Parts: sequence; C-alpha cells; structure tokens
Amino acid sequence: MEPPVKIRINSLSFCYNGRKVLRHTSVSFSTNSITAIVGPSGTGKSTFLMTLNRLWEELPNCSLQGTVEIRFNGVFSNIYEREFAVEKLRRQVGMVFQTPNPLPMSIFKNVAFPLELAGEKEKDFIRARVEEALQKVRLWDEVKDRLSESALSLSGGQQQRMCIARAMILQPEILLLDEPTSSLDHTGAEAIEQLLLQLKQNCTILVVSHYLDQVKRIADRVVELRDGQLCSR
Amino acid sequence: MMRFLEKVLPLFSWLCGAVLVAAISSVTGYLLFKGLRGVNLGLLFGTTDPVAALMLRQQVFDGLFPAMVGTLSLVLMSVGWAIPIGIAAGIYLAEYARGRTKMIFNLLFDILAGLPSVIIGLFGFSLTLFLNRHVSEALRPCLLISSIALAFLVLPYIIRTTQLAFESLPVQSRMTARALGASRLQNIVHVLLPQAFPGISSGVILAIGRCAEDTIVIMLTGVVASAGVPRSLLSPYEALPFYIYYISSQYGDQQELARGYSAAILLLIICLFLFSLAFLIKKGARYRTLYRP
Amino acid sequence: MIRGCERAVERLFFGAAFISALITISIFGFMFVFGLPLFSGGRFPEIMTRPWAPHLGVFGIYPMIAGTFAVSLLAMVFAFPLSMGCAVLISVTGQGRLSRLLRRTVEIMTGMPTVIYGFVGIFLLIPLVRGIFGSGSGMCVLSAALVLAVLVSPTMILLFCDSFERVPPSYGHAALAAGATKIQRFLHVTLPCAGQGIIIAFTLSLGRAIGDTLIALMLAGNGVQVPASLFDSVRTLTAHIALVFAADHDSLEFRAIFVCGMSLYLLTAILSLLARRAGSKRRQQ
Repeated sequence: MEPPVKIRINSLSFCYNGRKVLRHTSVSFSTNSITAIVGPSGTGKSTFLMTLNRLWEELPNCSLQGTVEIRFNGVFSNIYEREFAVEKLRRQVGMVFQTPNPLPMSIFKNVAFPLELAGEKEKDFIRARVEEALQKVRLWDEVKDRLSESALSLSGGQQQRMCIARAMILQPEILLLDEPTSSLDHTGAEAIEQLLLQLKQNCTILVVSHYLDQVKRIADRVVELRDGQLCSR
Repeated sequence: MMRFLEKVLPLFSWLCGAVLVAAISSVTGYLLFKGLRGVNLGLLFGTTDPVAALMLRQQVFDGLFPAMVGTLSLVLMSVGWAIPIGIAAGIYLAEYARGRTKMIFNLLFDILAGLPSVIIGLFGFSLTLFLNRHVSEALRPCLLISSIALAFLVLPYIIRTTQLAFESLPVQSRMTARALGASRLQNIVHVLLPQAFPGISSGVILAIGRCAEDTIVIMLTGVVASAGVPRSLLSPYEALPFYIYYISSQYGDQQELARGYSAAILLLIICLFLFSLAFLIKKGARYRTLYRP
Repeated sequence: MIRGCERAVERLFFGAAFISALITISIFGFMFVFGLPLFSGGRFPEIMTRPWAPHLGVFGIYPMIAGTFAVSLLAMVFAFPLSMGCAVLISVTGQGRLSRLLRRTVEIMTGMPTVIYGFVGIFLLIPLVRGIFGSGSGMCVLSAALVLAVLVSPTMILLFCDSFERVPPSYGHAALAAGATKIQRFLHVTLPCAGQGIIIAFTLSLGRAIGDTLIALMLAGNGVQVPASLFDSVRTLTAHIALVFAADHDSLEFRAIFVCGMSLYLLTAILSLLARRAGSKRRQQ
C-alpha cells in the first residue's frame, strides 16, 4: 500500500537573484520516507529546500509563486497562506545545513535552544529531551560528561550530529538535509546515513545529495532537479 | 616610469615611515620633557587637601580637579544619551531596514559622521538660543546642552560600529536560529547580540575617547576657563581639553604654562588608555563574550 | 502577544534611527533659518565673493573660503604621499615585526587628542617656522598645514592598508607565480585594483582636514585675508565660526557664521557622498 502524501507542491515557481530556480513545478512527497534530491550543482537544490520552511524569506532578492501544502494532523494547509505563522512552521520542519553550524554556546544550550525559543521553561523536561535527542543521534555517550563545554570544541562529525539532534529536539514531522555528509569523512558519513534510516520511521526526510552510491543506499525515491522541474527518476 | 618607481618605492616608503615616527615621537617626547615633572597629586588638587576636595567640601582653585570632574560628567552624560539611541538605530539599520529606507538612513548617517565638530557645536549653540527665546530664559550654554551636542557628535560612531558588528556576522549564524523557529527579535537577542558585543563595546569606548578629547563643541556650548566643580546640569563647567587650549593662548606665567604641559600629558594618558582598551576588547574579549555556558 | 511585542520593539528601533536622521536634517535647517536674513534680497552671491569688513557693513566670507582651501589642500599635499609611503612600508616593503610595530603606532596615533597637536605645535613648531623662514609670527598656512597633515595621516594610512588588503589574494598569487617581485606585485596588481579605496581614503581625509577647527584656530594666525604665500596668516571657515560666535546675536556679523556653517555642511556632505559612491563602485567590482 502506498503511504499517504505529506507534502504537496503545486505549480511552484521560485526566483533567486533574477535566476529562475523553479518553473511551475509540481511534485508530492510521501509520509515517513526518504527522498533524495539530485541534479547538477548550482541548479538551486538548496534553495528548493528553503521553500519548504520559508527560510528563503531571509535572503535578499527572492520571489515565489505557487503553493506548498503540508499535512499537519491529517489536514493539508498551504504554508504560504497569510495566517500561517512562520516560526510555528519552522518548528515542525527541521533543517540541517551543508556545513555544521553550531551556535557559539555550550553543547547542551545548543541542543536545548529550540525548546527555549518555543517558550519551554521546565528544566527537567528540557534535560530529558536533550538526552533523548542526543541518544537518537548516538552522540550521548561521547558528550555526556562535557555538555557544558563549547560546541565549537566538537569534531566536524560530532558537530553535524549535534546539529541533527538540535533539529530533532522539537520532534518535527519533516526533516530537510542539505548535503549533510559533504564536509565529513567516511565514518562520519556512514553514521549519519544509519541515523537517517532510523529516523524515517516517524519523519519525512528530504535530503540533497551529490553521492550516487549514498543515494542508492538510503533513498526510497530519487527526484532530479533539472531546468526548473522536479521529476522522479 | 614603472622601472623607476620600482627602484625608488622602497626608499621612499622607509623615508615616510621615518618622518611619521619622528613627528609623533617629537610631539610626545617634547610633552614628556616639559611636563612630566609636574604630573603629581598637586597637579590635580593644588594646595587644597585632596580628601576635602573629593568630598566637595573645599573648592580647588589652583588644580585640575574641577576640569577632571567636568570632563568626566560630560563624558558620562553624552555617552548615556548616545548609547541607547545609537545601538537601537544600528540594529534597525542592520536587521530591519531594507531597500530605499536603508539607503536614505545610510546616506544621512554618512553625512552626520562627516560633519565638522564646529558645526555640531554651532548647532548646539543655536539650539540654546532658540530654547532661551522660546522656552525659558534660564537656559544658557551649560553642561546639559554640551552633553547633548556631544552625543550628536558621537552618535554616528555608535550607529556605525553597531551596524557593522551585526552585518559582519556570518550569514549562517543568522540563518541557524531562524531555521530552528526563532523569531527576528529572539534571533537578535539570543544569537546575534552576544556575538556583536565586542564590536559594539569597542565603538562605545572610541566614542568615550572622542567625548573626552573634544574641544570645539564644548567651547561653543558652555565650557569656561574657571567655574569650579559644576553645581548642576544647568551651570557652566570646566573641562580638561579646553583648559589646555586656554593655557596655550592665555597663560600668565611660566608656572601656569608648566601646568598646561602636565594637563596635556594627563589627557594623552586618558585617551591612549581608552584607545588601548577598545583595541583589547575587540581583539581579545571575543572568546569571552562569545562563549555562554 | 509575542507578535505585538516584536512589532513594538521594531518601532522602537525605527524611532531611534529616525531621531538620528532627524538630527542630520535639523542641523541643516538651523543653519538655514539662522542665516536667513543674509540670504534674503539676493545677497547670497555678495556674501560668497566679498571681503570681511564688519565695520563697513560688509560680511563677505570669501577670504575664509580661500583660507580653508589653502590650509586643507596644502595639508593634503603633505599628507597624501606621506600616508602612501607609510602604507607601503606597512603592507609591502616592511618585514613582519617592524611593520606590525608601525601599524600599532599608527593605530594609537588615531587616538591622539587634537588639542595636544595644537598645543605642541604652538610651542615647538611655530618658533621653528619663525626661525627658519624668518617671517612674522610663524602662525601661517604652512604651520597649520604641517600639523594638519600629521593629524589626518594615521586614518589615511589605515584606510590605504585596508584597501590594499581587500584586493583578492589570488590576483597577487598570479602575479607572484609569473615571477613578479613583491614591489612589482604591488605596483602592477594591488595598486590598480585598490583605486576606489584610495579615492575613499582621500575624500574622507580631505573632509577631515576641511572640518578641523582647532589646528587652524591655534596655528594659522586667524588674519582675515586671501593668502598670497605659504607664510601668510589666514582664517578658515571653521576658525571664523569659533571666533565670532560670541558676537551680538542679532547682528548680521553673527548671522554670517551660519552662512559659513552651511557652506561647510554642504562641502563635507558632498565629500561624504563622493566617498560613498566610490564605496559602492568598489563593491560592484
């Protein structure tokens, strides 16, 4: 049986610095699956991810037309509708960037940061959730004794796993990853691939990737971005 | 032509370096030679008992104490006006303003930053005239007016350093918290402000130094050669840089002139201290303010 | 609730920026309104071109304009090559420790109080000029320009160094790979690429030299005349304001300093705009 649709994109056009990245493209992504997005470099795969959490609105000279509908609690809603709160959206759609981007705070504070932004004050609850998230990315054993150290002291692979933990702490239903392993070595990349396969049990994952063998290992479906269109391969 | 330049340039650059170093060392050397002997407690308090003077129980007539108090209160007040407005305006420019609005603000602040201090002083003076005629007869050039005019003078420093500190933060650290669901204000308060703090504080200290050394603005807005310790915000006052200027043209005897040299050394030390502080904060304090446990 | 708070804070920030912008505009407004009696009746050209003779009822500021340009341009004639040489020494010809030391010295010099330069100028430079050139009091265009050159050089040096550093290192590597010496790299690659930066440094420093009051007031002699030689005493626009502001507040003599103020405002504003344009050109490159 085909799993239900999670994200429905309808006739989406996106312009970045005068360049058309997307032209009236329509595509759907199903719940709890891993979709790999491939394509020549410079076609705007990363900016495409940003149309799903509206992060492009922080970039200069962008414009967008069309609709992106995401199913929350069984109901589809267009995230570009006026009354849709952008902060709420970003709390349910996690994002991990190409290079690890720890904030200049302690490891604990980094992972707990989204919870605090969302207004969570209960100390014990935060602690438990941080531990859970770090367990999930298998970082807990490595850092449990140094949670108050600066996140910048972690290695590249550890930083990236911490960033995934930070994106996961609000238990988002969708996770966007922009070439998450490109700045890591072989073992670091493998750990993250394993992690994604495990996370997809209750999360819809979109990952931009350059490595075809990686795509083959983890993706349920491959979508190519070419000439402004997204097509299944 | 290029061949010739290639040959001459090294020699020329060494010559210029030597001239500059000679100029600055002759300025400081001359001051130290003439005035170092006079730098002691007597310079500040004259023949008055220092403790009594500090408690404001006795007036100091033959020392720099009133000028120091005047300069200190002037600096505190003007920076007190300029900091909140300057930082808020800087944040607005870096984080909120876009397109045409940003361009117009940038333009106006560039002009303000380039205005000669004598114009700011003249503005302060005409503001006093205006207020004197239309609001209250009691308003004359005074400490309050001077501090406001000086705040105008240093406002662009604080705006610009704040703006620069925010704008030079990497795009990624700006996007990170936003992707995690932080609102604009949350992003500014929790993520950007701590990282921009060294830049802002070095700008503030530079502004303090500028207030401490300015002579022209205060000359047009209320400083006088002898007034004692300022009694209120609305009274005239003395200040260190004006004292130095005044001595240079009006000294009565050699003793007064010698005090002028020592006062110049005092001002030099204050300004260089502030300057090094700003420098240290921007270079060294980064890891301290960046890392929050 | 949170939305409302966000919006209130944004308004607060905007208010601060607006007040600061308003100050810039109202300074000009005050100059204009106070100088108004002199503008009415088409007397403006007369003010800009006539000499200053208050006892005859003539309030021209032409000598002061000439004095301002004489002092500031002469200062730039000294300061520009000096700063260029020092900047080259710091970023090209000097070696590690020495160039760092010189740079630190220059940075510290930017924090020197102006009044100290003026003070030492009066007691050290003036007697020297009087002794060597043996003319008058020694307070003249030359003395003021020399001290002013030392005053504006540090900032100009740092701006030059900054514009050299902005040239992408890959250009320099290309030149070095082609067998250029360090000096050749500087002359053929760095200097042509830093053109806009040099223009910025020059205009900003010229604005500073024109706007300086204290050095001219203390060292240029303040004689009201159009200078004919380096050793003539002159009065700049800035010094004129500082000397006359205490005059009777209803007299035309007093009003004339607002015309000086407005000329200075426009002059420095134009220079700021020029520097700004050079800056945006540089960003496009």
